[in-house]
Amino acid sequence: MELSTIKDAFDRVTKKQKLSCSKTQEAIDQIRQEIESVLDTLQSANNTDHELDYKTVLNELKASFLLIAPLSQMEGTQKELNVALTKYGKLLEKHFNPDISKAYRNIDIDRHTLNQIIANHFYHQGLFEIGDHFMSVVGEPESAAIMKFPFVEMYQILEAMQNQNLEPALNWASTNGDKLAQSGSDIVLKLHSMQFVKVLQNGSREEALHYARMHLSPFATSHMTDIQKLMGCLLWTGKLDRSPYHALLSPSNWDKLAEELKRQFCNLLGQSYNSPLSVTVAAGVQVLPPLLKFMNVMAGKKNEWQSMNQLPVPVELDREFQFHSIFVCPVSKEQATEDNPPMLMSCGHVLCKQSILKMSKNSTKVFKCPYCPFDIDAAQCKQLYF
Amino acid sequence: MEMDSLPNGNNTAGTPISATATATANPAPPQSSNLPQLTESLKLEHQFLRVPFEHYKKTLRANHRAVEKEMSAVISGVTEAAAADLSPDDAVNHLNSLVCRLQGLKRKLEEGSRAEHLQAQKCRVRLDHLESADAENMSEWNNTRMKRILVDYMLRMSYYDTAVKLAKSSNLQDLVDIDVFQEAKKVIDALQNKDVAPALAWCADNKSRLKKSKSKMEFQLRLQEFIELVRAENNLRAITYARKYLAPWGATHMKELQRVIATLAFKRDTECSTYKVLFEAKQWDYLVDQFKQEFCKLYGMTLEPLLNIYLQAGLSALKTPYCYEDDCTKEDPLSQEAFRTLAMPLPYSKQHHSKLVCYITKELMDTENPPQVLPNGYVYSTKALEEMAKKNNGRIICPRTGLVCSYTELVKAYIS
Repeated sequence: MELSTIKDAFDRVTKKQKLSCSKTQEAIDQIRQEIESVLDTLQSANNTDHELDYKTVLNELKASFLLIAPLSQMEGTQKELNVALTKYGKLLEKHFNPDISKAYRNIDIDRHTLNQIIANHFYHQGLFEIGDHFMSVVGEPESAAIMKFPFVEMYQILEAMQNQNLEPALNWASTNGDKLAQSGSDIVLKLHSMQFVKVLQNGSREEALHYARMHLSPFATSHMTDIQKLMGCLLWTGKLDRSPYHALLSPSNWDKLAEELKRQFCNLLGQSYNSPLSVTVAAGVQVLPPLLKFMNVMAGKKNEWQSMNQLPVPVELDREFQFHSIFVCPVSKEQATEDNPPMLMSCGHVLCKQSILKMSKNSTKVFKCPYCPFDIDAAQCKQLYF
Repeated sequence: MEMDSLPNGNNTAGTPISATATATANPAPPQSSNLPQLTESLKLEHQFLRVPFEHYKKTLRANHRAVEKEMSAVISGVTEAAAADLSPDDAVNHLNSLVCRLQGLKRKLEEGSRAEHLQAQKCRVRLDHLESADAENMSEWNNTRMKRILVDYMLRMSYYDTAVKLAKSSNLQDLVDIDVFQEAKKVIDALQNKDVAPALAWCADNKSRLKKSKSKMEFQLRLQEFIELVRAENNLRAITYARKYLAPWGATHMKELQRVIATLAFKRDTECSTYKVLFEAKQWDYLVDQFKQEFCKLYGMTLEPLLNIYLQAGLSALKTPYCYEDDCTKEDPLSQEAFRTLAMPLPYSKQHHSKLVCYITKELMDTENPPQVLPNGYVYSTKALEEMAKKNNGRIICPRTGLVCSYTELVKAYIS
């Protein structure tokens, strides 16, 4: 995008604004000087008792104003400013999408549901004060506590980890050990390993060895290699930073561990790692541009859009938004469904059932795979489950 | 913790820690360095630049108008003095007062120019903010965008205090339009207290632009004031009011005018439904909504909160029939009831290319990590199956059906 053009246009606006401003000041000063000089003349005439025709003087002043024409003086620069303003406004319209609500379906969004989602987002992000404030403003302070509680514990643990204190994390891991093991997580070992390195760094070899016996030995059968590495560290007590194991001391390990903990914690809570609101909005940002383009082309089909059952344009979402397997038949370009499932042909290529039925004339004929020279027998095709 | 890269004499045995980590958790999303996509998303930020610009323009116009008015006043002051028969002392006094006025004007001009400068600054900060978006700081930038969208939502829903709190806590004041909405807040608060004066003042302030967009905001406010007079049975005043403020709208809005005037005959306790509604309190809520719409239009904002627009688009993009199944992954927003509710009336997503996600690792199955088929037709990624075979001496157990087979029985599937 030509942001620099837009910036230049805006610089022009401010330049013209300054010009117009100084011109106005000039005009004011000029008028004031005229009046003041007349005042001087009047004053000196008073002092010298010289007869003076006030009317003439005032008329002269009036005439000089007409000559100076302060208002039309200002008008010129003002006009230039207006031109610059209009130009900038037009540039914005041209380079940006002036109305992103064109693809909006006018349906009532349930405010209560939406507010719950927002509050959950705040708590998920650790913005507790704002979440509480929001919930009290929308008049649902009761449900706030229930929503907030688990996240409070998580952020306490994470905060302690920021200060390299693993105590709360280890406590949480030991209370939830069973559940963590069930989900196949090895966060407990990771936490103990980190603590082991910490003990080794600060304390004696003795203490570290004791810690390892206590907490690492239960993992011997499943994670022998990792424990071997950690035991190797014992040989370098006091000079771990110069050992082959110095990578264990990297501060980024703490960030990674914190991220992993957050993941596991959210997993146990039945929550997603990323705030679902952030994910949805980010997906919206990706899908809006093609959707708006479609709306511009299909201006006449606005009514149809309101009742469509599927988006009118295909969307290309990033990997992070891909939560389910989508199979699109390369022949019919249709998405597979329960009634029209993907089928594996004997050559290894995959088509949807309908396409295979069509090409084999309802399974009566052998047909050629559209992707390779294989002859396919419909009866030999196998349904796939992704 | 990155331990696998370390030498320990037993490196060939594989890396159990990282393997199980990816098995249970989604891998961190790859940083998108997709430049065209970024550009497209920036194009959605029209309101972000438009609102401070409209505000700036408004201030410029108002300041200019004030200066012009004062200048003409001074000039005509001299003209009048020249025409009138003033004593010498009066003339001097008069001129002195004009000089004072000019000095005051200059001060005002300086103040106004400071305000203009601040607003110009805001416009520039926003341009800079858009420019600052690149692949490296994307996640932080997106985070800020999320907050901007939430502040916009809260401002529109009149949750001002929370909006201010959020903006302050994240240092977003220049990236959100709290000051602009303060103006709206005054009018809305007054309307909620059944006071139309600030709303009428706002209409007068923006007369020419409202006229251009054929707004009937002022007419509706006047109608409501008329109704209030009828409600109080102040009929004579009501008629005078109608003559003065309603009659000019007759040419364009005769039907509505006639209907409201008829309330004089029906009175506030009428049971006639056509007129009964006019006396209802919800008419005031309607005025508030109407005002919000006009306000948004004037500043170049979308009529719907940004949050609603992005959320709706996002829900449609993510909505697949699989989202509503029991085993939908927690990472999918549509696994949550609240999101499902909001997505209910929206269309499903549409994709033109197959995208296969491994049930076990949740990783994409593509040419680098191709899908393999078990004898029962269930498909998993090569990575996951290799890992499993390594752990179980070449045996594969289907996690969904419990089928046991050998790694050698697997067949590669080619997805085009």
